[in-house]
Amino acid sequence: MSQTILEAENLCKFWGGLKALNELNIQFKDNQLHSIVGPNGAGKSTLLNTLCGAYPATSGVILYHGKPITNLKSYEFCRAGIGRSFQKTNIFHNATCLENCCIAAQQRIGGSFNLFRKRSKNRQITEIARSALEQAGLSARADIRAAEVSYGEQRQLEIAMVLATSPKVLLLDEPMAGMGHEESQTIISLLKELKKRYCIVLVEHDMDAVFELSDLMTVMVDGQHLITDTVDNIRNNPLVQDAYLGNDDEVF
Amino acid sequence: MSIFSNKSEKIFIYLFFAIGLFIPLFLEGNTFYINKFSTIIILAIFVMSLDYLVGRTGMITLGHAMFYGLGGYIFTILAPEYEAVNFWVYTFYVMLISGCIALIVGLIVLRTSGIYMIMITLALAQMTFYFFADSVEYGGQDGLFIYIKPETSIFGLSFLDLENETHFYYLCLLSLFNCFVFFKVIMNSSFGRVVDALKENPDRATALGYNIFHFRLIAYVLSSSLAAYAGYLFALQFGFVNPSMMSWDISATALVMTLLGGLGSVYGAIIGSFMYEGLHYYIEHLTEYWMFFMGALIIVLVLTLKHGMAGFLNNLSGGKR
Amino acid sequence: MDTSLFLVQLLNGVQYGLLLFLIASGLTLVFGVMGILNLAHGSMYMIGAYLAYYFTTLTDSFLLAFIISGAIALVIGIIIERCLIIHLYKRDHLDQVLLTVGLIFIFNATQSFVWGNDPLGVEVPEILSGSIGLTDIIEYPVYRLFISLLCLVVAATMYFTINKTRLGMMIRAGESDRAMVENLGVDISKLFTIVFAIGVFLASLAGIVSAPIVSLVPGMGEHVLISCFVVVVIGGLGSIKGAFIAALIVGIVDTYASVLLPQVSSMSIYLLMALILLAKPQGLFKN
Repeated sequence: MSQTILEAENLCKFWGGLKALNELNIQFKDNQLHSIVGPNGAGKSTLLNTLCGAYPATSGVILYHGKPITNLKSYEFCRAGIGRSFQKTNIFHNATCLENCCIAAQQRIGGSFNLFRKRSKNRQITEIARSALEQAGLSARADIRAAEVSYGEQRQLEIAMVLATSPKVLLLDEPMAGMGHEESQTIISLLKELKKRYCIVLVEHDMDAVFELSDLMTVMVDGQHLITDTVDNIRNNPLVQDAYLGNDDEVF
Repeated sequence: MSIFSNKSEKIFIYLFFAIGLFIPLFLEGNTFYINKFSTIIILAIFVMSLDYLVGRTGMITLGHAMFYGLGGYIFTILAPEYEAVNFWVYTFYVMLISGCIALIVGLIVLRTSGIYMIMITLALAQMTFYFFADSVEYGGQDGLFIYIKPETSIFGLSFLDLENETHFYYLCLLSLFNCFVFFKVIMNSSFGRVVDALKENPDRATALGYNIFHFRLIAYVLSSSLAAYAGYLFALQFGFVNPSMMSWDISATALVMTLLGGLGSVYGAIIGSFMYEGLHYYIEHLTEYWMFFMGALIIVLVLTLKHGMAGFLNNLSGGKR
Repeated sequence: MDTSLFLVQLLNGVQYGLLLFLIASGLTLVFGVMGILNLAHGSMYMIGAYLAYYFTTLTDSFLLAFIISGAIALVIGIIIERCLIIHLYKRDHLDQVLLTVGLIFIFNATQSFVWGNDPLGVEVPEILSGSIGLTDIIEYPVYRLFISLLCLVVAATMYFTINKTRLGMMIRAGESDRAMVENLGVDISKLFTIVFAIGVFLASLAGIVSAPIVSLVPGMGEHVLISCFVVVVIGGLGSIKGAFIAALIVGIVDTYASVLLPQVSSMSIYLLMALILLAKPQGLFKN
């Protein structure tokens, strides 16, 4: 039985009167891929942003390995092991793919305050970066500038960077955004591998991918938790079908 | 040497320092030009420190001259009036004290960014200007004089006499070289990796776990201490300090020199300083209102040649970065 | 300090503050709507003052000079925006700084060329000269009251325009979401030209109106610009209300400091700014 690594307890995020997240209770377990789905405006991205510390929670608790981390500063979340990839590609365009991962890895390994040692001399960082690139399938593009690789490869790089931070939890925000069916396959295979080793929280609109990958799915509507269950149960659940009716989202 | 980022940089640095090394031989004691070069080299150190801050770290300051002035004032205030102190010891003092001041200023200023930072740094520099200009003990508008230049002995051995223009010139040249090497080293370091990252994408850097405030602060302190060192050299060359060293137009002019040479190139600071001073000298002979043409040139450059001379040279040599 | 001196200085402080508000509001308006920090804003103040000097000397009528100078300032603003500022919209802050610094150089050289470096002055216009008795013992210059009144009228006009007119609505919308405003069919480029012209006009107006009470010297523009920055930083960038309150605070503090603490008088407003920033890094009224 998998352990609960990350948990949201009565989590709320209010923007003034707007209740983006309302009393959310979800548990994310290790070695599992747990998707968050829901119509537009359900609060999926807000949830990711709050779980990784980008948005401070209005109330409620985020538990990581059982300990509350809700009040940590935003940069401390990543250090704790919660890695996050972005929906809108957010890489270092002028650096090579390898360097992108090195930047990510260096934060965990340390040495950032070393003013004099040449950055390439830290072998450990380079190794971790190469390993992350390999896991993401980008080894061949290691020395190419990130701005020059294809869009799909940039999405892979997004994930590689997170992997380079040696995380325990991967919060992935629409990793397949803007990708066609074929390109998505690469990411899907990647995620299938990764979920064996990490706790993955996936927000994605590509429902085929979601059904293929998820061990558990949570449906959110209007900032609230509707249901969490396995893929099959979700598919057949009338409540969920109701929630999607009338939206131009994908139909089951 | 692998500290160079591209070919044009390498060629320029070799050429510049080679010429710089032998120029005094050709000038044969023409102290006017030797002094002029010393002044521009000192300016280049100041501009280089600014270029690192603005061009490499992405922090725009309009108050950098504050540290330039402070460098001169710190020395003049600390050093006993009629005694020749040790240059190296006082270099240490000047940089240490200015570094501490930079730390405090940085704590106030670096929590802001962009437009705010521009305005606040300018205002703080102005405050420092008035502090000295209105003061009685520090000479007010007239400033203070340095009657005796420091001596440069190390363990009793002294090679340089700072009263000698040529010796002083070589000290400045050596300082500029050290400054360049220092910046290149820290840019290539692990620290430099983070600085590059936070300049390009501060949000991602934070998301990766970096507390970018710390890195900015360190960069700010380093850059400001070197600006102070430049001011210290300036004070030693001319034998006085006054509040005008801290005025906003010194900060703005330095920024212009950075633009001329190529923002972020670091070695461009040398190009920019010599270009600006050269143009100033040349145009001033033609008209008293040379600022008009400099202003026009700046506007043209901003709108067209975005990467300054260094970018232009880089393109010529077909380089990367 | 006795009561009458206190009151007179209070009036002076308010007058100075209102003038600062006039200038700062222009700066903050341009930045808020267009995202442009115009360092040459101070130069527009200087231009206003020198134009007022020129036309007063030429026509012997301050009123005429006032009108002509104001018109010229508007035209200059439009020209600068159409030719230069227009290129900055897609650029970063540094480009704005550098280009407007270039403008400062050009304006300063032009001023020096046309009017030289000696201090110049303008006579207070006849109808506004003299002092008026406020109480039994206190007399206060009419012209300074006029300035304060003018600034208040402008402030009220601004408030009305921004809150009650269509232009104001576009300004407020442009401040929060430029792209959206464009999509709604507003001619953004025309809006920007208008806003920029008004912004620099405000600075020039302050210059015109200050001409009789200050000494016209090179560098007067930058001095006022930096004080303006202090106001904007304290008040919160983009907030006109903040600029108003901050300007009054700065005006009063500066005036009292120069009377009570002459040794630190020039530094006083910067110290104030630094202290406020320590407590509230975004200024008093974050937009």
